[in-house]
Amino acid sequence: MTWRSPLALMRDALRGQRARDKELRNLVSNLPYEGLDKAKQPNRHFPSNAIKTTKYTLLLFIPMNLFEQFHRLANIYFVGLAILNFIPVVNAFQPEVALIPICVILSLTAMKDAWEDFRRYQSDRKLNNTPCLIYSKEKQFMERRWKDVRVGDFVKVVCNEIVPADLLLLHTSDPNSVCHIETANLDGETNLKQRTVVSGFLFEPESFTGVVVCEKPNNNLNHFKCYEKPDKERAGAGIESLLLRGCTVRNTDHAVGFVVYAHETKSMLNNNGSRYKRSKLERKLNIDVIFCVILLFAMCLVGALHFLWLQALPGIPPYLVPDSSGHLDGPSLSSFYTFFTMIILLQILIPISLYVSVELVKIGQIFFITNDTDLFDEETDSRMQCKALNITEDLGQIEYIFSDKTGTLTENKMVFRRCSIMGTEYPHKENIRLAVLGEPESEEEVIFNQRPQSLQTGWSLDAEDTTPRDTTQRRGSRHRSKVAGIAQSDVAFSSPLETEVIPDKKLLQQISRAESSSGSRKTDPYLDFFLALAICNTVVVSMATAQRRRSDNLRYEAESPDEAALVYAAKAYGFILLARTPDSVTVRLPSGEDLVFKVLDTLAFDSNRKRMSVLVQHPITKEYVLYTKGADYAIMELLGTPYAQHHLDCYAKEGLRTLCVTKKVVSAKVYESWLVDRQRALAAIDNREELIMDTAVQLETNLSLLATGIEDRLQENVPDTIMALREAGIQVWVLTGDKPETAVNIGYACRLLEEEDLLVIDGRTLTMALSPDLQERFVDLAKRCRSVLCCRVTPLQKSRVVKVIREKLKVMTLAVDGANDVNMIQAADIGIGISGQEGMQAVMASDFAISRFRHLKKLLLVHGHWCYTRLANMIIYFFYKNVAYVNLLFWYQFFCGFSGTAMIDYWLMIFFNLFFTSAPPVMFGIMDKDVSAELLLGVPELYRTGQGAYTFSTFWVSILDAFYQSLVCFFIPYLAYQDSDIDIFTFGTPLNTVSLFTILLHLSIEIKAWTVVHWVIMLGSVALYFVVTLAYSAICVTCNPPSNPYWILQSQMADPMFYLVCLISTVVALLPYTFHVMRNSIAPSPIVQARHLDRLDPSEREQWIKEWRSF
Amino acid sequence: MMASSYNAKDEDGHITMSGPGGGTLRSKKPENTAFKQQRLPAWQPILTAGTVLPAFFIIGLIFIPIGIGLYVTSNNIKEFEIDYTGVDMSSPCFNCSQNFSWNSTKPCTCTIPFYLDQPYESNVFMYYGLSNFYQNHRRYVKSRDDSQLNGDMESLTKPSKECEPYASHENKPIAPCGAIANSMFNDTLELFYNDPNGTKIQIPLTTTGIAWWTDKHVKFRNPGGNNPNLTAVFQGTTKPVNWRKPVYELDADPENNGFINEDFIVWMRTAALPTFRKLYRIIQKKNNMVPTLPRGNYTLEVVYNYPVRSFEGRKRMILSTISWMGGKNPFLGIAYITVGSVCFFLGVVLLIIHHKYGNRNNSADISN
Repeated sequence: MTWRSPLALMRDALRGQRARDKELRNLVSNLPYEGLDKAKQPNRHFPSNAIKTTKYTLLLFIPMNLFEQFHRLANIYFVGLAILNFIPVVNAFQPEVALIPICVILSLTAMKDAWEDFRRYQSDRKLNNTPCLIYSKEKQFMERRWKDVRVGDFVKVVCNEIVPADLLLLHTSDPNSVCHIETANLDGETNLKQRTVVSGFLFEPESFTGVVVCEKPNNNLNHFKCYEKPDKERAGAGIESLLLRGCTVRNTDHAVGFVVYAHETKSMLNNNGSRYKRSKLERKLNIDVIFCVILLFAMCLVGALHFLWLQALPGIPPYLVPDSSGHLDGPSLSSFYTFFTMIILLQILIPISLYVSVELVKIGQIFFITNDTDLFDEETDSRMQCKALNITEDLGQIEYIFSDKTGTLTENKMVFRRCSIMGTEYPHKENIRLAVLGEPESEEEVIFNQRPQSLQTGWSLDAEDTTPRDTTQRRGSRHRSKVAGIAQSDVAFSSPLETEVIPDKKLLQQISRAESSSGSRKTDPYLDFFLALAICNTVVVSMATAQRRRSDNLRYEAESPDEAALVYAAKAYGFILLARTPDSVTVRLPSGEDLVFKVLDTLAFDSNRKRMSVLVQHPITKEYVLYTKGADYAIMELLGTPYAQHHLDCYAKEGLRTLCVTKKVVSAKVYESWLVDRQRALAAIDNREELIMDTAVQLETNLSLLATGIEDRLQENVPDTIMALREAGIQVWVLTGDKPETAVNIGYACRLLEEEDLLVIDGRTLTMALSPDLQERFVDLAKRCRSVLCCRVTPLQKSRVVKVIREKLKVMTLAVDGANDVNMIQAADIGIGISGQEGMQAVMASDFAISRFRHLKKLLLVHGHWCYTRLANMIIYFFYKNVAYVNLLFWYQFFCGFSGTAMIDYWLMIFFNLFFTSAPPVMFGIMDKDVSAELLLGVPELYRTGQGAYTFSTFWVSILDAFYQSLVCFFIPYLAYQDSDIDIFTFGTPLNTVSLFTILLHLSIEIKAWTVVHWVIMLGSVALYFVVTLAYSAICVTCNPPSNPYWILQSQMADPMFYLVCLISTVVALLPYTFHVMRNSIAPSPIVQARHLDRLDPSEREQWIKEWRSF
Repeated sequence: MMASSYNAKDEDGHITMSGPGGGTLRSKKPENTAFKQQRLPAWQPILTAGTVLPAFFIIGLIFIPIGIGLYVTSNNIKEFEIDYTGVDMSSPCFNCSQNFSWNSTKPCTCTIPFYLDQPYESNVFMYYGLSNFYQNHRRYVKSRDDSQLNGDMESLTKPSKECEPYASHENKPIAPCGAIANSMFNDTLELFYNDPNGTKIQIPLTTTGIAWWTDKHVKFRNPGGNNPNLTAVFQGTTKPVNWRKPVYELDADPENNGFINEDFIVWMRTAALPTFRKLYRIIQKKNNMVPTLPRGNYTLEVVYNYPVRSFEGRKRMILSTISWMGGKNPFLGIAYITVGSVCFFLGVVLLIIHHKYGNRNNSADISN
């Protein structure tokens, strides 16, 4: 490297900064510059493809990690106290010793962070060193590594390999210039997507001299625009030509692309890490921590009574020690110091270990939730996933559930059911029978169904099993295992159920009549209908693997299940979609004749238009035909004449999802003029989407109608789940985009609706109801309704509804969705995604992902209840424990002149909190089980009663209890040892022991179910106390001045008085539990009653639940 | 077809299958173990009147006898206490208490007569008691150097900072350093029995055996190992400012001199509460025929050195016999009897409750 002046370097750096920040980037090929100095490389300003997801570097780990940790207020507080302890006039303990707790906490957290970062480093290294092919000067593709990929390189990706950077597709092995990719790593969708080669780009790396102008990197996975500079008109390209980093190339032998973004790839920009939500309980907890701070200050102010005590002294007693210069502080200054000493002394009133313990408990709870076999779906081989790690207990607090319909309540496995053509209804009665009869078997017969891949948002960050090498290996074994019989496949939406359409006889007759009569012209509406079904979609016909070729069945891969259903329906009538390329569609007619339609354009589906169109040229008539398919209301407004409306209504009442298919013949002249607009829109870089949409709307006018109905089956156990949730006191709202009739029908089917107390509201009304002046009244009305059904609502409205309810009623909300309603899921306190058939965006954005709606029942009623009661009880216990223990020190201040003396060795105090009494509450928080899962499921009402475990009053009752217990634990030993020759630390020993027993026995009473683990940990804690304290007292002769508790516990344990004092103090401290016992006997709470039921044997319990339910 | 039947049979298994590629494919199904499914066998106690009332009766039945035993034991302990502070004008020590200075060279002596109305049979422990003396004051407790007291030569010449401002005096390190040592109790108490025939017999007081064995032998050590010449060992150090003689002149007995002087060790074990007593001497029982302290008139002779007026303290001399439970303290006995009775009473209440409501619980009536 040659030397360059710093000025030049700086200028270059600035230029680089500018180049990166510009809205448009100019990229050229690296090839002509290969081997040149870095300073001469045109693309040098853009980062290389090496990724670094680690947060820290080896050298800076400690300062950076500490900086991170000190963002937590509690840590600053404790460090502040530790520093305070270094000031001689106020220190309560040996200065160094006071650092121990905070150091332990900080280093534990640092160790965890270091481990996580190391894992990230390892996976980064593995990923960066993954081999890939880059075109080099030697006129061939050379094997390099991912990290060597630079913007402007030509990269070749072969089949089943992962794309290393965002590539502009220039060439593929496919004769139709398409490349199939699977985006499972990005969005979890396993169906294949097509990418097409940029039209107008010549693929010859050597002669690639143009400049690619593309936009600044952004994180939108579905949007990209660029053009080649010298020829702006000709070569615009969008997302359909971009291979995203992380996608896998499938069904295509190889593909070559030009690197547009390295490092700043869309997938990397999408990696925002996990979201941090704070649970309701945690918010309450923080308030109570503030109460504790107030309490602490009050107690420290009492410490300032030191002042009065000093003033009462007539002279200078020998026990008042002046400072090193022999000067004695005045009473006021001295009590000012005492205040701070007391803060240090009583600091554990603010539980330092509480936050760490809460985190541990949540990890444990998540472990148990994800390991529940009941929340495991055999069919898709997927477990329940917890994406948000810190809101498990909110699952036990839910008051409102907002659910989507499609894919959430229903399977989202569509089956073609009925259709209406030219005003005639074809009911397909055979089909219905099939659905009814075939149901039990059809479950069994699902051999191929979707297997969602591990849904890791940070596919490049996480774990080994997602690295490219592994994936290819797994894929290899996957095909083999399929033979061995594991239910999985990489094909989407093609279970036999959808293919199973028995043609309606009357309709078949119509078709054969039409075929024979219309001859070669083939413009009969019946034929058109099925042609439309076969053509008007984006279904990919897959061909690749050997297994598939063997069977004569064609496999269709669709982006949405209704498309697949329609294609299969067409197939059942003999209109078989044989192949689809970007330019053509091949359809086999019932007569056996293959027609190749030239595809002129595809106007893709978007949620504003709610329809999609395909413009084809008929091979025989050479007519330009536009087939449009969409939601009925989206089509109806475009129709020349309203038509078949009553059929649609009737379908909807049956709960079918209705779609309309239309046809329009476009004249050559209209097409030509439209095409110009279209081209301009496609090449535009600003407002491209709007322009494209406008052009689509332009063409989709004056359509003529053909109609269909599609059924979407309810998922299993949905009615039961909804019933249970409602019995649990949860309000269930269904928000759907369907028409009111469909929605109401589904509502009845899933027992959401009962006759009287129902509110059905549609999208348009909802807009008004949510306007600021009506909001209050709408919320008030909704509150009174047992169930609310919103239909024809847009995703945006859904999220508004959730937000309004959440904010106005101040309730805990949960949103469930099985598709793409990211907004709604994020608007609610808890978002649950159902990994269903359609897009996985909801799952990606959710806090918890389940695979079936019915899992919600156990997730909320059992795990939600458990997580909440466990954590709530643990937190209350933690506060109690700290207050009870610290108060011993507090009471002692009344007998040591408020001077801040601790009568317990500081090490033992640290051990007490860190080892002797920390494991039991954590275990309690993870494993306690107040009521069995069976009973919680059987009696959903328990969910409601379990919601009040942590309230203002329970907190204060436990604090009062702590005060009482500490009084007992202090004053019984005090009275027993009054006016004796006992010394400070010998006096502290029974106090410490008594409070250990009291605190642990208190927990023992709180523990509802004792398993082996409980016994081991509880007895282990007591044993640990004695072993550690005895060992410490046996060796510490001068190790910890001034206490040096040498032989103190030993001498105490040789004294019968010690045991007598411990025994009576513990009994008296726990005596108030008698009230508890009496209440349990006289007026037992529902939870206690449930626990009684739990002790019955299962059959008897069943009987009780049944009897109880019949009320 | 095969697939489904295979899956159906495999109820609780993880299907493990190794492909030739070396990768293993595992079903993600969680293990069906009792622990992971939270179905570990558990004991589920419910606190109701029926289940806990035996405990109350048992506590009552155990506590009341213990309490009675404790109470009787405490009552059998003989204890005599005399305040010799000299607050009252009438008190013999009044004069001594008035003219006080730590460094007065002329000792002040006072004599206090007292009468024991019953004989003390076993060994009698003689305590001095101080009240309102906060030996547990934070700054005071810290003001010592245990390493120095443990015989560490370095700490002897360079006492810990904690001892400030009693670490050195006139540029010489203080041994023993710190405020605790500096304020050591230095009254001398002597006991005389006034024989009915008029003679005054001095009662022999044992000065050893009053400190913890571990303190005397492990925690406290003279510097210089077994060097008997303590004067040489403590060369270069100075006595605490309030002391009249250096630490190596505390006792003539080399086994009770220097840091291992038991009076010193006892003082250094700082009291937990502001009113405390410390063991001063032991009056050994001579033989079974004569009580250790017969009934009669005694005289306490005090060399009054220790000032307590600055904190309104009191000084006491206590004579006490001792039992397994230590000194006289009726509290624990009373407490046990009270708690035992309360538990017994609660047991009865719970029994009534159990009779009234118990059946309902057993039949687990959940209708609410």
